Amino acid sequence: MSAAIRFDHTHVVYPNGVRGLDDFDLEIEAGQMVVVVGLSGAGKSTMLRAINGLVTVTDGDVIVGGTGVRAAQGSGLRQLRAKVGMIFQDFRLVRRLSVLDNVLIGRLAQVPTWRSVIKAWPKEDVDIAFDALERVGLMDRAYTKASQLSGGQQQRVGIARALAQQPSVILADEPVASLDPVTSKQVMDDLQRINRDLGITTLINLHFLDLAKQYAERIVGLRQGKLVFDGAGDAVTEDDFNQIYGRAMTADDVLEAHVAL
Amino acid sequence: MSTAATMRPAATQVSGTTKGSGAGRPEPPDRLAGRVGMGVIFAGLVGITLWAGKLVGFSWGELLGNLDKVDRLVDDSFPPEWAFWPRLVDPLLETIQIAVLGTAGGCLIALPVALLAARTVAPRPWIYRVSRMGMNLLRTMPDLFWAMLFASAVRFGPFAGVLALIAFTVAVISKLLSESAEAIDLSVLEAVRASGGGWIETVRFAVWPQIIPHFVSYTFYAFELNIRASTVLGLVGAGGIGMVLRTQLSVFEYDRVILIVLVSLAVVLVIERISEMARRRLV
Ligand SMILES: Nc1ncnc2c1ncn2[C@@H]1O[C@H](COP(=O)(O)OP(=O)(O)OP(=O)(O)O)[C@@H](O)[C@H]1O
Ligand SMILES: [Mg+2]
Repeated sequence: MSAAIRFDHTHVVYPNGVRGLDDFDLEIEAGQMVVVVGLSGAGKSTMLRAINGLVTVTDGDVIVGGTGVRAAQGSGLRQLRAKVGMIFQDFRLVRRLSVLDNVLIGRLAQVPTWRSVIKAWPKEDVDIAFDALERVGLMDRAYTKASQLSGGQQQRVGIARALAQQPSVILADEPVASLDPVTSKQVMDDLQRINRDLGITTLINLHFLDLAKQYAERIVGLRQGKLVFDGAGDAVTEDDFNQIYGRAMTADDVLEAHVAL
Repeated sequence: MSTAATMRPAATQVSGTTKGSGAGRPEPPDRLAGRVGMGVIFAGLVGITLWAGKLVGFSWGELLGNLDKVDRLVDDSFPPEWAFWPRLVDPLLETIQIAVLGTAGGCLIALPVALLAARTVAPRPWIYRVSRMGMNLLRTMPDLFWAMLFASAVRFGPFAGVLALIAFTVAVISKLLSESAEAIDLSVLEAVRASGGGWIETVRFAVWPQIIPHFVSYTFYAFELNIRASTVLGLVGAGGIGMVLRTQLSVFEYDRVILIVLVSLAVVLVIERISEMARRRLV
């Protein structure tokens, strides 16, 4: 089978001239759990956001499920995005809406606009949303206002929203960076379970190296918009990390050190 | 900022002396420049006022010399002709209806205008620029101008009043609302877009929930402005109590005029107060 995601000489140059991705090449097989690591500013977010067109690819292309991101526009881009769920560090829920409505946002690309505008959701889409909530263990909170949930719960709603898209790819940009260590592990477990049960290709940016090693099937290292490491999650050594980071590992780079505090 | 301000007195209380407790505490900023600036501005304002008074030929003598005319007007006006008031009920209701319709219509139109004129929400930069320009143009016209325009365009009567208030409301509310729309949290918009939502979906699920409270509050505010405006609109032929006022003024029935003024004042104040209370309760 061909790759689920293929970066093909991808360049992202921001309007201010900063190179987010610099001639980036990478293939990711369907169903893989990939963790992306690198220093702050290395281009991790840029890499994920190039996949669903949230940043503009300025040269080369990213092929997602056979579709080139660069040429995708209008409804083509919307359909591509519908296949790619995204999870954010700051959750990005609509705080005034119920948990269920937030999850139903994941159905927007499939539901006719006139229906979603008056929230006349088709039954099958509501079913999909409830399934997604059940998977993250929040079905009983469906009618709670999103703002009334804890951080960990909000992030799980974020995951359910992505799941409701019935995506073939999930992108998670620092999904646990605003959570405490225990909740972080629970959310990472959720993501791993979903990846294994549903076979959804999953890309996660992480800055805790022990978490990366623990959950990654494959670890990809970035530095200044270039690929500097690519290897199996359990094979990666401290030397590899030192090479990716260009410095020795410190306590700040591991979650366990924070747990100990 | 506010915590620093509240903590400061507490710190001095605890130490109990006037001696500064921390060596690292920053010096308060020098406010002399600010004071001088305020002085200059104040002097400027006084100067402009004097100049404007000279321009319109303001004179204390004239004001005081005409007091006897005012005296006569007051004599003619009192006592008000109370028996006239039943004939004010329908025009007053019409005034209220004009305000309600003008507010509802105006706010409904203001909503899309505001969204297109909000830089961060508009689907295309050129749409934003065009909407913003139209909005600013609309806002240069006062309510009475609209009333005169529509009174001559359609015919004298309440419909002209409603149209005038719609235009006036769109002008005022779209500006306020577009500023609220520009201040919302944009990160949620990106989340909706990333899920494959288009512009309408993004507005519906990421923008609308964030601006509802503002929209409700502005709607009440518009109604309060409109209930005031609609009493005067009739003066230029746009229906309601103002039309009666105009007729009675033209035949010098000052005892009726004063009744109209008093009754309108009471109605406006009561409705305004109710609206204000509802607004506070809701938002
Ligand atoms: N919208 C933007 N406009 C201009 N430059 C940007 C923009 N977004 C990111 N950059 C720059 O591109 C480079 C890569 O940024 P990116 O956000 O991808 O890094 P990152 O690896 O995700 O870092 P972090 O760990 O801090 O999130 C950085 O130098 C950053 O300053
Ligand atoms: Mg980042």
